[in-house]
Amino acid sequence: MTTAVAPPLLEDTQLGPKAGGFYRYQNIWTGLGFGIFLGFVAWLVSHATVQGSNWGTDMVVTCTMVAWVVGFNIGMGTFNAPIHWILGHDQTHEDELYAAGVGQGSSRYLKFCTDHKVVGTQYLVLVMVLFGVGGTLAMMIRTQLITPHSSFLDPQTYNAIVTIHGMVMIIATIIMVSGPFANFIMPIMIGAKDMAFPRLNAMSFWVVVSAVPCLLATFFLGGVNAGWTTYAPLSVQAPAAMDAFAMTIITFVVSVTVAGVNTIVTVVTMRAKGMTMGRLPIFTWGTVVGGALGLYAMPAFLAVMTMMITDRATGTSFFVPEVGGSQWLYENIFWIMGHPEVYVILLPPVAAVLEIASTFARKPVFGYKVAIAGFVAIAALSIMVWAHHMFTTGWAPNLAAPFMLTTELISIPTGIIFLCTIGTLWKGSIWTRLPMWFVYLFVWNFIIGGVTGIYLSDVPADQFFHGDMFVTAHFHYTLLGGAMIGATAAVCYWFPKVSGRMLNERVGKVAFWMIAIGIQVTYFGQFWEGFQGMARRIAYYNPHYETANQMSTAGAYLLMAGWLVFLYMMINGWRHGKIAPANPWHAKTLEWKVPTPVPLENFLVDPVVTSDPYTYGEGVPDGQEVPESAPAPEPELVPAGSAPGDQIDAGGAS
Amino acid sequence: MSFEEEVDEIEANTLLGGAPFFSRPGGKIFIIWLVFTVIGVLIGFYAPHHLLPVMQSPEGGDVWATIVFFTVLAAPVAALVYAIAFYSLFAWRHRSEDPDVPPPDAEPQRGNGPVTVVWLAVSTVLVVVLLFWGIAVWSAQQVSHPNALQVNVTGQQWLWTYSYPGTGVETRTLDLPVNRPVQFNVTSVDVTHGFWPAVLGVQVDANPDVVTVIRTTPNKLGKFIVQCSQLCGLYHAFMNNTGDVVTSQQFDTWLQSNGATPTAAATAAGTSSSGSTTAMGK
Amino acid sequence: MGILLTFVVALVAIGGVAAFFISQSYTSPNYPNGVQVAQPLGTAVVNGQSVPHVALQFQTYPDSTGSVAGKQVHPSGNPAWPAYGLSNQYQVPAHSLVTVTIRQYDSGGSLNNPWFAKVSGTVGGVATFTSPDGKTVTTNHVDPDNIGHTFTMRSAPGVDSAFFLNVPLPTNANLPNNQTNPDAGQYYTVKFSFLSGAKGVYAWNCEFPCGQMVASFGGVMGAYGFMSGFVHVV
Repeated sequence: MTTAVAPPLLEDTQLGPKAGGFYRYQNIWTGLGFGIFLGFVAWLVSHATVQGSNWGTDMVVTCTMVAWVVGFNIGMGTFNAPIHWILGHDQTHEDELYAAGVGQGSSRYLKFCTDHKVVGTQYLVLVMVLFGVGGTLAMMIRTQLITPHSSFLDPQTYNAIVTIHGMVMIIATIIMVSGPFANFIMPIMIGAKDMAFPRLNAMSFWVVVSAVPCLLATFFLGGVNAGWTTYAPLSVQAPAAMDAFAMTIITFVVSVTVAGVNTIVTVVTMRAKGMTMGRLPIFTWGTVVGGALGLYAMPAFLAVMTMMITDRATGTSFFVPEVGGSQWLYENIFWIMGHPEVYVILLPPVAAVLEIASTFARKPVFGYKVAIAGFVAIAALSIMVWAHHMFTTGWAPNLAAPFMLTTELISIPTGIIFLCTIGTLWKGSIWTRLPMWFVYLFVWNFIIGGVTGIYLSDVPADQFFHGDMFVTAHFHYTLLGGAMIGATAAVCYWFPKVSGRMLNERVGKVAFWMIAIGIQVTYFGQFWEGFQGMARRIAYYNPHYETANQMSTAGAYLLMAGWLVFLYMMINGWRHGKIAPANPWHAKTLEWKVPTPVPLENFLVDPVVTSDPYTYGEGVPDGQEVPESAPAPEPELVPAGSAPGDQIDAGGAS
Repeated sequence: MSFEEEVDEIEANTLLGGAPFFSRPGGKIFIIWLVFTVIGVLIGFYAPHHLLPVMQSPEGGDVWATIVFFTVLAAPVAALVYAIAFYSLFAWRHRSEDPDVPPPDAEPQRGNGPVTVVWLAVSTVLVVVLLFWGIAVWSAQQVSHPNALQVNVTGQQWLWTYSYPGTGVETRTLDLPVNRPVQFNVTSVDVTHGFWPAVLGVQVDANPDVVTVIRTTPNKLGKFIVQCSQLCGLYHAFMNNTGDVVTSQQFDTWLQSNGATPTAAATAAGTSSSGSTTAMGK
Repeated sequence: MGILLTFVVALVAIGGVAAFFISQSYTSPNYPNGVQVAQPLGTAVVNGQSVPHVALQFQTYPDSTGSVAGKQVHPSGNPAWPAYGLSNQYQVPAHSLVTVTIRQYDSGGSLNNPWFAKVSGTVGGVATFTSPDGKTVTTNHVDPDNIGHTFTMRSAPGVDSAFFLNVPLPTNANLPNNQTNPDAGQYYTVKFSFLSGAKGVYAWNCEFPCGQMVASFGGVMGAYGFMSGFVHVV
């Protein structure tokens, strides 16, 4: 028999006054306080111990940063659960409910909160802050380049800004879709109550937050002058800021690794009954493949930065030829990470674009299995192309042809993704709401970005283009024009579910055109500079390139204005937007079948999954549904002669 | 729909059907595709011609040719994607009174085996063509000439210096005799720099404790710029030198004005040793 | 409310960060004493042409904070770091004869590339070197293993690619590397003249590796304002 009574909401549970233990007192302010305190103590101790030695400053900076990261996380409560376990007891159910944010209202967003929806929202705000910082730095670069020999920034500050702009943007783009949406949306999409490791989920967020001050500290430690790629031996020569930079990376990789494991394990083990891998929404596949690729690639970053710190602080000879090391060692390990990393950046937004295209063309994803094969092929091939960043380094000239081969091969699965996208659009019923606008912009931009990459993959042509503004324009088209616009589409798409309100699409269209035109003007200006032969990462340039630079800067200001309008639309929407229905896009994936705001543990009633979520136009009821009320529980089957309560798995395992 | 209407619809949408080609989706997309392809091809010819600097070596010419060739090949592919995307916005866009109501579902098409296979095949063929082009051009550039002019390039923070072995000349301008194969032996004394004489179409990093080699044969007279393409610290932007491709005689003279003996200069320049008695000789 | 507050705080922080290093860029040891303008000396005849003649005088400070003058150079400097001073920004007129006198107080050693021991770009291709014990020699190169600093100058890209100046500033074993009161200490005097190029920005830096870390070109050598600066040719 079905019952007609709505089950009580988990988030309304009344907890006792001591529930949560230490979590009650821990939030971002205790984190900051304890992090600064422990960092200061480490600074005092290390300063007293190693002062005077040639590498002393590097040791001091490294120890301070490590102490900051650990202290911040102690203060946040990240280690509370492991400390409990080490001491021999577990957290109580009430503690865990408290940790999931019950009874704290909006202050849970400033605390260690295990609810994946809270973590997703926290990531969204962090990504916006990071883009704000990175964007400000970008505007400073473009402002310096308005005139050929500007005195706006001195060369040391300029190099530091170029470096940190790059690194902030890399961090932001890696987490921009997998942070907010693989956390908030993906578990609901697969019918799970939360991620596989909710505490690790919160940990991955607060660890990446603790990495950000390390990165910004570089400005106060002399500035890293080596670009975000921080090639050795220049980075071994760099001031103490480089140790803070390396610590940023090490901390960040810990966060990304944990998050990647969490994503994969969640999808593999926590799908709802009936949700086979073949019925997963394509977005989920993108986050899984991207996460798996990150697991392969990011540890190389951690390794190379650890070696960088030891080269600087303890005199090891990994990368400095003077003492027996090799700069090519650095470059190889770096790009072994660096190339897969751009696909870690790209795959989740591309998958989101396919998801959105399907919803707004009212058609299934064209070539679902082919698209997945494309993702996997891109990931696999990306592991084998890294030396195309090193064509002109003089390392292994006889490997130029093999790497040219693998690099050009990647355009095949990338082309398949395009096929799936336009196949989804083909004879669709195109519903041009705001997310769909950004899907079209993605297609436009990513074609340009992808095609220009092909020029760079040709070794003879790369001899002209390497280190030139053409490269900069290419990767901005793919990362900003492609991945970030895909992420923007994702933000517009899932905003109603995350915030419970609708965006003002009139304002959105203004932002859209400013962003779209801004991107073209900015980066065509940079292609122009590149054709003319202007080097990248320079603060002063030949007046011959002045017009192209002014075009690019003008575009950048328009782009910045567009993003600010977009930001205004988001904040305004979040505060005053029209209340959103549960499924404003009439989509068929599970996250739209739960109410908005999404209750704690997502599903009041277990979802029923009988097909994939792409049954548009097939004249069948939706295959992924959350029924009104739970079906009657199956009667417990007890063999004759045993007592009820003896657990026997009566078939139909979940 | 009645039977006759169904037949009409099938005919309208199949290749052998009755509706004129250019009023069917395929036909209209074909036109848009054609227009975009032509624009792309024109860009492929315009951009190098008007935007690239004048190249001064066959390798530089290869860069020019590669850009044109790749653009011409890529144009139809990009044009196809753009044509379908644009067409979808005009032909299949749903306009309704209420923006909150989605359009009715479209015809579900979960995939198309033949289209996918053709797409894969065409993209593979294109990639193979690009690859063969690249390998052919690259191999042709790897030929080394036994009596090439040797130039030792030293990168340091923040200047390039060039020395011509056998002449004792070390300068900060890179003068080269025209039509003489040259081999650059590049190294650094501190960090990694990028030796980039862009219009010679070659580039290689200057690495400390390692000598990397590139070769070219300048074939056009004129001044050029050598930049540093690998960020090397504070004054990376100022690490520009000039070079000049000059006649053999001028090169001989230049070497002597920088301290070379007449014989050494003549050998380096490839001029005959009897022709080196110039007023500038020391 | 908590989210919005955090967000506003973050935006303010971004603005603060941006404002911080814009201000840093103007108060860091770049413009401690403003721009040193070359003194006019009338005119001179070079290559048969009459050009304006100006003079510049400056020196090296082995300890950029030690002396009274040193403290004026780099209030936030590092005692182990040398500097040029009083300012690292100079101003000379275009297409003029500039006579430069530099006092070199610092110890030194060998160059990374002995090429920088050669004088280049001066009038006559030579410079006049006076050692602490008064011996004077006019020559076009010095011992590359006894160099204190160099004065190397080139134009910003596209301003005047023909212009280049390099003058080595010698040292000897007697010059200590921590002269805190250089006005009373031993020094080399280097005097040379060059024809300034077209109007624009020129960068000067020292090419002697007196810094730290890789190739001794890190530390002070990479910190703008100590061993590097600009010459504004107006």
